[in-house]
Amino acid sequence: MSANSVLSAPLILPPPRTETGMVGWMRANLFSSWHNSAMTVVATISLVLALWFGLGWILLEANWAVVPTLGGRIIIGQYNIEAACPGQNCFWRPQAALLLITALLGMAWAVAGGGVTKRIALVVGGAAAAFAFLPYGLDQMGLDVRLLLLANLPALAAGWALARYTRLGSASWIAILSVIAFILTLVLLRGIPGVPLLHPVAVIYWGGLMLNLLLAVAGIALSFPVGIVLALGRRSRLQVVKLLCIVFIETFRGVPLITLLFMSQVLVPLAFPENFPQNSLVRAAIVITLFSSAYMAENIRGGLQSLHPGQVEAARALGLPGWQTTLFISLPQAIRNVIPPIVGQFISLFKDTSLVYIIGMLDVVEISRAFIQGNPEYLANAKELFIFLALVFWVFTYGMSYVSRRVEQHLGVGER
Amino acid sequence: MVANEPTIEQTIETDDIIVCRDVHKWFGDFHVLRGITTTIKKGEVVVVFGPSGSGKSTFIRTINRLEEHQRGDIFVDGIALTNDTRNIDAIRRDVGMVFQSFNLFPHLKVMTNITLAPMKVRKLPAKQAVAQAMELLERVGIPEQADKYPAELSGGQQQRVAIARALAMQPKIMLFDEPTSALDPEMIKEVLDAMRELATSGMTMIVVTHEMGFAKEVADRMMMFDDGVIVEEGSPEQIFEAPRSDRTKLFLSQIL
Repeated sequence: MSANSVLSAPLILPPPRTETGMVGWMRANLFSSWHNSAMTVVATISLVLALWFGLGWILLEANWAVVPTLGGRIIIGQYNIEAACPGQNCFWRPQAALLLITALLGMAWAVAGGGVTKRIALVVGGAAAAFAFLPYGLDQMGLDVRLLLLANLPALAAGWALARYTRLGSASWIAILSVIAFILTLVLLRGIPGVPLLHPVAVIYWGGLMLNLLLAVAGIALSFPVGIVLALGRRSRLQVVKLLCIVFIETFRGVPLITLLFMSQVLVPLAFPENFPQNSLVRAAIVITLFSSAYMAENIRGGLQSLHPGQVEAARALGLPGWQTTLFISLPQAIRNVIPPIVGQFISLFKDTSLVYIIGMLDVVEISRAFIQGNPEYLANAKELFIFLALVFWVFTYGMSYVSRRVEQHLGVGER
Repeated sequence: MVANEPTIEQTIETDDIIVCRDVHKWFGDFHVLRGITTTIKKGEVVVVFGPSGSGKSTFIRTINRLEEHQRGDIFVDGIALTNDTRNIDAIRRDVGMVFQSFNLFPHLKVMTNITLAPMKVRKLPAKQAVAQAMELLERVGIPEQADKYPAELSGGQQQRVAIARALAMQPKIMLFDEPTSALDPEMIKEVLDAMRELATSGMTMIVVTHEMGFAKEVADRMMMFDDGVIVEEGSPEQIFEAPRSDRTKLFLSQIL
């Protein structure tokens, strides 16, 4: 090869072998310097020890029987005890509500056409159906309960087909149907006086994970729009509106949620007429919503402030009126910028629903605690029960975090 | 005062599209515009230049009320710019603006960037809005970029989308606020070409720019701003060949 051709065409060489592959990666990321190497070694030893003893305990020593003993209580609390639901088993009602949810997930899967929605739908539907095969006796979990759990798979398929082959297959229809499904769920759980199968169940008997999820869904669905309104209000040029929003946000952010829940028992009844039908569940939902929306407002305000002023100028220069500029230009960008803190807020809201024990509601944590207290023979197994609860909370919060990451990636298209 | 002295409205001739009388503007204590009086005719291309901080950008931003003037009168297409929001919205529909930093909406595709305002403000049906947007993208030379997001485009392409977006509202006047100062040299030409084409089509344009080649070739009139006043205005030949003001001479000698 002549010197000339070397000059005219610089060689494109493969990178040195040590830079690629497993060895290269380890060298760059685990053993790049003496302190990095030391960290790697210490972390590996800790991990091995933790796994050795942790797995040993989990598989050999721990007695997990406490979890199935509590069984359905973990899911629905005292909802189907004799006092709540005399003469019948009301377990089918929350289960029917679950069927509505899986059907909606099926619809969402058909509309989204796969991806994260498909995965969520399959995991929820599949897990619900899998519960039907838990090896606990039919006395604990009757055949009807098992069949209703299995029905989640047909429900998923029915939802999918409904969205695929009818005109209901659009995001806006799913949003409308979700609201209807939520109201239907509440009616189903609450019951209707005089209807034989829908014997009214007082909300003090609603409990378990069902209670946490109901409060979380209501809190998330309501605090998001309320938070947007508060954030816009706090940036309003109308000084009175601005002041009211600031007072609201700073008040609800400045008081611990547990205090607000306490106060709600005393204060919320004052805000309604004497005979107005209200109960501790509604009061808790209101307080959680107000508390969360104060934080939500500040998150969204942060997003609005991160926008370049040129965005609003460009929209106004095109003749878009102020409200359309907010709706189409500012808010979509602002919310996209603050998805991580918003989802953080949702996760924190979900975990905070446990605090309703303070007003006498038996959420999933409180019912477990009460069970251990009432059955001292299980005192030694309290740790198994609470480790299980921690896992349950983790599964839901990790699910939220996973969805948020996927949504971020999806919206990140065209990010500057 | 003479009893029969005509009002400003009466002095406006039919082909006067922008009329400014003694326009003043303050930012806090800073007196940015210190009495701007000028009239721009339909179809005229006016290049505004001058040192930074001289008020030239602020001046064109008062014409569509992105900045509020505090004294004097501005009439755009016969409508007085007052605090009446209906007047402001009416004027903004008729005045397109192109910004130095493009200000495209990054969360919307190029097509939606262009169709949004016509559909929401002019109530144009979606089909027509899309057809019009495609026409405009062809006019600025980038029809193939319609389905991309702004961030996927080069600076010059983004600025041409911004021009198309402004034109989609079918404005009578186009304002350009230093449209090429954020661009790499090789992209300036493609934007200037689009503007040149627009000027020959008879659009009324006010362009804040230091592209003197463009001014010489396209402008009907040039305005030199300094310290919030128009120190000199005239045809490009006069400004370049025989500037009357020393300030203009000095400024031109520094940038040419």
